[in-house]
Amino acid sequence: MKVSFPYMGTTVIYKKLLEQLGHDVIMPPIPSQKTINLGVKYSPEFACFPLKVIMGSYMEAIEKGAEVIITSGGHGPCRAGFYEQVHSRILKQEGHNVEFIVFNSMFRDFKNFYKNLMRIKADNSWIKVAKSLMLVYDMMKKLDVLEKEVQVIRAYEIKKGETTRIWENIQRIFDQANNKKQIREAFEKGKELLSKVRKHDVKPQNRLRVGIVGEIYVVMEPSINMKMEELLGSLGVEVERSQYLSQWVDYNVLPDFMNYTHEKEVLKKGEKYLPIEIGGHAKQTLGQIVDFSKRGFDGVVHLMPFGCLPELVSQSIIPRITEDLGIPVLTLSIDEQTGVANNLTRVEAFLDLIRGKHSKKIS
Amino acid sequence: MKIGIPQSLLYAYYFPFWKTYFEELGHEVVVTPMTTKGIIDRGVKASVPEICVPIKIYLGHVITLLEEVDYIFVPRFVSIRKGQFFCPKFMGLPDMVRYTFKGIEEKLISPMIKTNSDNIGNTFSDYKFMEKMFGISSQKNIKALEKANEVWLRFREYSKKGYTITEAMKIVLDGYGESSFSTNSDSNSSVTIGLIGYVYNIYDSFISMDILNRLREMGVKVKTFEMLEEDSLEKELQRMNNKTMFWTFSDKLLAAGYSFYNNPEVDGLIHVTAFGCGPDSMLGKLLDMDTVEYNKPFMTVRVDEHTGENHLQTRIEAFIDMLKRRKMNMKRGA
Repeated sequence: MKVSFPYMGTTVIYKKLLEQLGHDVIMPPIPSQKTINLGVKYSPEFACFPLKVIMGSYMEAIEKGAEVIITSGGHGPCRAGFYEQVHSRILKQEGHNVEFIVFNSMFRDFKNFYKNLMRIKADNSWIKVAKSLMLVYDMMKKLDVLEKEVQVIRAYEIKKGETTRIWENIQRIFDQANNKKQIREAFEKGKELLSKVRKHDVKPQNRLRVGIVGEIYVVMEPSINMKMEELLGSLGVEVERSQYLSQWVDYNVLPDFMNYTHEKEVLKKGEKYLPIEIGGHAKQTLGQIVDFSKRGFDGVVHLMPFGCLPELVSQSIIPRITEDLGIPVLTLSIDEQTGVANNLTRVEAFLDLIRGKHSKKIS
Repeated sequence: MKIGIPQSLLYAYYFPFWKTYFEELGHEVVVTPMTTKGIIDRGVKASVPEICVPIKIYLGHVITLLEEVDYIFVPRFVSIRKGQFFCPKFMGLPDMVRYTFKGIEEKLISPMIKTNSDNIGNTFSDYKFMEKMFGISSQKNIKALEKANEVWLRFREYSKKGYTITEAMKIVLDGYGESSFSTNSDSNSSVTIGLIGYVYNIYDSFISMDILNRLREMGVKVKTFEMLEEDSLEKELQRMNNKTMFWTFSDKLLAAGYSFYNNPEVDGLIHVTAFGCGPDSMLGKLLDMDTVEYNKPFMTVRVDEHTGENHLQTRIEAFIDMLKRRKMNMKRGA
């Protein structure tokens, strides 16, 4: 079947998994202004931004021939859990014949999960499925390792934009890899390429580190968050995100008794400020800010879609964390009303602030 | 002790319960006045700009109570139905309050409400902590809860008879007679409207500009979700099988919407929604898409903290006129 999926972050991974299982993958294009315009046109006006972008993405994928869309469901209470219902209704109304396969948490409705799994599995043997999963997981881990390196190197590159180009190249190399050996080779190649980037020599005490936290879609998808990581990197700041795909998988797939992921600790760190899960990544956001602060980061950029229900609760509480722990946080809310210059100014002012704070700390 | 209850958010649905409960425990209950411009302004100042109006207003009510009372009741509503939740802002409400206002922590009473039905007096364990907090016996606590429960159930019965929440509260709490209010049932109005909206919007006359009474004054019969039997809402939800939303009150509104669409007595639907309401952005769209299928007019009224009543009056007048004309044409067979 001709399948597609929402575009988010390092998409080569979902593509690889579906290809391994013999499906025809229609890659949705990287979200562009056209995607956003399409999405905005057909989505409810007050829906959150990810819903709109994904809507546009689906339409572009359908245009390219997608028949089945695979997505995750979530279980609320944030709006993302209800996306598929709205998306499929609207697509149907617009005359697109497309089927949805929605993966909800397998711990909640195993029967449905299993049914979906069987669809994706198609004629492959379970061994093949397990092998493909392991392969893709391995790839995910390795890509995340490299990406973390990219986010550090970028701050010190001499030739602007070089690291980003290499990173895109690395993803292409991984896209060609189809077995364990090739993935290892791609990883080695990636490391080698990154080590060749010429860098400014910056003394450790002069290095600035900023964490990025917030709602998963706007954090993970650079094309809609003003390429925040590249932006911060080009301004000479090391970056670490709160979310990486492999972390997300570890945390969401492992059963409770063997779930010792960092995410679990992070959630505990935020408990003082928000004792229960309220949906989305609100609790993670607060926990991550505490975590970044304890790990000596200089500041945090908090990204959220405009009007995001859970993140607004976080945003209300963040000033108190800043007061308690002294970590500066800049909240940027993102939607289809692009105002790059305005946000750029805010980011620059924020960096001035943390630079000032940083130099005071070391002097 | 003086216990303050903000007249906002779920006040309209649960106040008879809360008031009875605290009074049975021997406390004095202080309620903020109806929302005013002053209350809104205070709330707007204390909140993050993007948050929805009802939350801003709630914070305004909390500030208003701060000086006056010993305790402020800010419950954490998590779930009142299996598999369903409240909007995230309700779930994080006590935390928002706690970290927005310095020194309020000792004043907060925040039970975590997690039950399996609307009847929040069902699970005594949610209120267990009050025994330690106020030094009362379990027996007294349970007795107070039972009494509160009884009053609340009576209040709900009056809602289902067609009295508005304001009227039902006056009947159960202030001893008004049933005949003091003319309910829907005895008006011979020409048009019936299904009014869809959360209780904290519809019954906050500042937010909704008192749309319910405006409609009634125009001789329109109004039905709201809380006037429907739980069974009939449940039936609508079952028909959608697992396609429901997972926010309790949004689901109720959605079910009410479809029940109004299916009810031949109802001529049209009005959806009152607050600017920035997340669940409503989905709920409204779904109902709006179905207006063609059910051949019933649907109108959205979006409200925020900025006032201006004239446009509302004009819009609802036009909507009602349209419904009347439509009805006449239908009768004539045109």
